[in-house]
Amino acid sequence: MNPMEFFAVAFDALRTNRLRSALTMLGVIIGVAAVILLVSLGQGTKNYVEEQFAGLGANILIVTPGKIETRGGPPVIGAARHKLTLDDARVLEKKGYLFGGVAPVVFGTAEVRSGSRSRNVSTLGVTPEFSPVRNIYVEVGSFVTDSDVDAKRRVCILGRTVKRELFGNANALGQVVKISGARFRVMGIMERKGVSLGFDIDDIVFIPVRTAMDIFDTDALFEILISVRNKNDIASGKELARSLLFKNHNRHEDFTITNQAAMLSSLFTILDTLTYVLGGIAAISLLVGGIGIMNIMLVTVKERTNEIGIRKAVGARNRDILLQFLLESTTLSAAGGLCGALVGTLGAGAIRLLVPKIPVDVPPWAVVLAFTFSVFVGIFFGVYPARKAAALHPIEALRYE
Amino acid sequence: MGSAAASEPLLRLRGVGKVYEGEQPVVGLEDVDLDIFPGDFLAVMGPSGSGKSTLMNILGCLDVPTSGTYEIKGMPVTTLSPEALAAMRNREIGFIFQVFHLLPRYTALRNVELPLLYAGVGREERTRRAIEALRAVGVEDRKNHLSNQLSGGQKQKVAIARALVNRPSLLLADEPTGNLDSKSGEELLAILTHLNAEGATIVLVTHDLAIARNARRIVYIIDGRLVTPEEYRGLRG
Repeated sequence: MNPMEFFAVAFDALRTNRLRSALTMLGVIIGVAAVILLVSLGQGTKNYVEEQFAGLGANILIVTPGKIETRGGPPVIGAARHKLTLDDARVLEKKGYLFGGVAPVVFGTAEVRSGSRSRNVSTLGVTPEFSPVRNIYVEVGSFVTDSDVDAKRRVCILGRTVKRELFGNANALGQVVKISGARFRVMGIMERKGVSLGFDIDDIVFIPVRTAMDIFDTDALFEILISVRNKNDIASGKELARSLLFKNHNRHEDFTITNQAAMLSSLFTILDTLTYVLGGIAAISLLVGGIGIMNIMLVTVKERTNEIGIRKAVGARNRDILLQFLLESTTLSAAGGLCGALVGTLGAGAIRLLVPKIPVDVPPWAVVLAFTFSVFVGIFFGVYPARKAAALHPIEALRYE
Repeated sequence: MGSAAASEPLLRLRGVGKVYEGEQPVVGLEDVDLDIFPGDFLAVMGPSGSGKSTLMNILGCLDVPTSGTYEIKGMPVTTLSPEALAAMRNREIGFIFQVFHLLPRYTALRNVELPLLYAGVGREERTRRAIEALRAVGVEDRKNHLSNQLSGGQKQKVAIARALVNRPSLLLADEPTGNLDSKSGEELLAILTHLNAEGATIVLVTHDLAIARNARRIVYIIDGRLVTPEEYRGLRG
C-alpha cells in the first residue's frame, strides 16, 4: 500500500466525521494561532524598541557624575565628590583619539515665553558637537556654534513642538523669546524626531552650554556624550574615557560611563526571553489541542473496532493499521496547523491594521515552528491510539459490534 | 485454484488443539486431524459452541493453535508471526462471514478492492480485478453503491467477490446463509457450488445439515473434536 493510498484512507475517514474533525482541529488551530500571535507580539515589541533606539546610535558613551556601580568597601575618607565640568569635556576631546565627538550637556527646565504664549520645557545647554553625536539636526537656520558658546550668546534653537506651541505656523527664525526671563534670539528649528522612549525630543530648547550655565547658575554638567568613531572600539573607548577622567579627577572614580550597546543588548535579552515565554505559554494550548486529538482518536479506534477487524481479516498487517490511524491524527493536526498558521498570520495583519499602536511583526520562523510543532503534536498524541488499534486481535475486533 | 498436486493436501492439520487461557482454561479444539485437498468442498458441521468457529479461525489464520501442527501448502503456520499471518490471510484465504463484514461507508467496489490494497496492487489493476470479481458473482451493476445500501443477498455476493478477488487457495464461509432469506441463501449456495465446480477449494462452516449437504464432504464436530456421523447423530440425539 503506497503512502498516497494511506493518505486517501485517512482523509476519507476524517471527511465522514466532518464536525468532529473540525472541532478537534479547532484546538490545534487556536494553539498554532496563539503561538504565532504571541511570538509576533514579542517580536514586534523588540523591533519597536530597536527602532526607538536606532536614532540614538549604538556607539555612544554616556558619562554621568557620581558612581552608580558599587565595587564594595566603604567610601575612602577625603574622597572629594567632583562634578563633571567643561574641563573634563575638553580633556576628553583633546586626548580622546578614539572619539568622533564629545558633547557636554547642561540640563534644566525653563519657562519659554513668546508674547503671551509660554511653555515649560526641557532646556539643554550644548556645544556644536551635540548635533552630530546625538544624530539630530536643525531643519532650518543653524545649530549652536562655537562662537555662540564662547561668547555666551543668548541664542536658542527650538524643537518642533515648542515652535508650534509658541509660534503656530508663523515664522520663528530671528524672533525673540524669553527663557527664564532673559531674551533669546531664535537661530534655528530642529527637524522632527518624535517620541523616543517616552521622551519627546521635539519638546526641547537648545542653547549654548555656557549660556545655560549662567541661566541655571551652575558649572556642573548633566552628562557628557561621547561618540566612538569605530563601533569595534566601544570597549577600549570606554576604558580610555575612564582613565582620562580618573586622572583629571585626582584619581577618584566619581563618575559613571554607560554605553548604549550594553544597555540595549541586556534589554533585548529580556525581550527575547519575553517572546519565548509568550510562545511557550501559547504552546501549552497547542498541547491541549493535542490531547483533544488523542481523545478523539481513542473514540475513533473504539468505534471502528469492527472495521479494524475486517481490514485485518483481509490481510492488513499491524503496521498498516498503525500507519492508517497515525496518518489520520497527523492529518488532523497538520490541517489544523495550516489553518492556525493562516489565522495567526491574518490575525496579526488585522491587529496591525485595526490597532496600529500594538506592535506585531510575524517572524517567518514562528510560523514554520508552530506548524511543525503542530504536526509533531499529531504524531505524538496519535501514537498511543494507533498502537491500540494495531494491537487489536482480529477475532475480537471482528466480533465487536 | 490450488496449485499443489492433487495428492498433496492444501491444508494439513495434525493433532491441532486450542486452549483458551484464563482463570479456567477452556478447551476450544482437541486433537483435530484434517486434510483438505485442492478442489475440495468441505462442510464443517456442528452445533453452536462445538468449536467450529475456533476451527474456522485457525483454518483462516486469524488465530494459531496451542498444540499440534497446521500447514498450508506444506508451510507451517503455527509458528508464524502476526505479520506473516496477515500476509497469509491476504494471499491464501478468502473469508465469507455470516454478518458480511463489509465496510459500511465504502462502495461495493472499494470493499472488494480492500484485499488488493493490502497486497500492494496498483490502483488501475485493483479496480479492474475488483470489477471482474463483482461480475463473477453477478453484482457488477452495484459496484458504486455504498455497501449499507445493498440488500443482504447483494451484500453477501459482494463479500464473495471480496473473498475471491486476490485468488486465494481457500474460501472460508462461516454460516454464509445465516442472515439471508431462503431464496438468497439458495442463490448463494449455487454460487459456491459453481465456484467449486470451477476449481475453488471451499470450507463451509454451518450448524444446518440441509446447508452442509451442498458440500461434497462433511465433517462433524462436537465439543472440539471431530466425530463420525454415527457418533454425531448419537450425541445430538
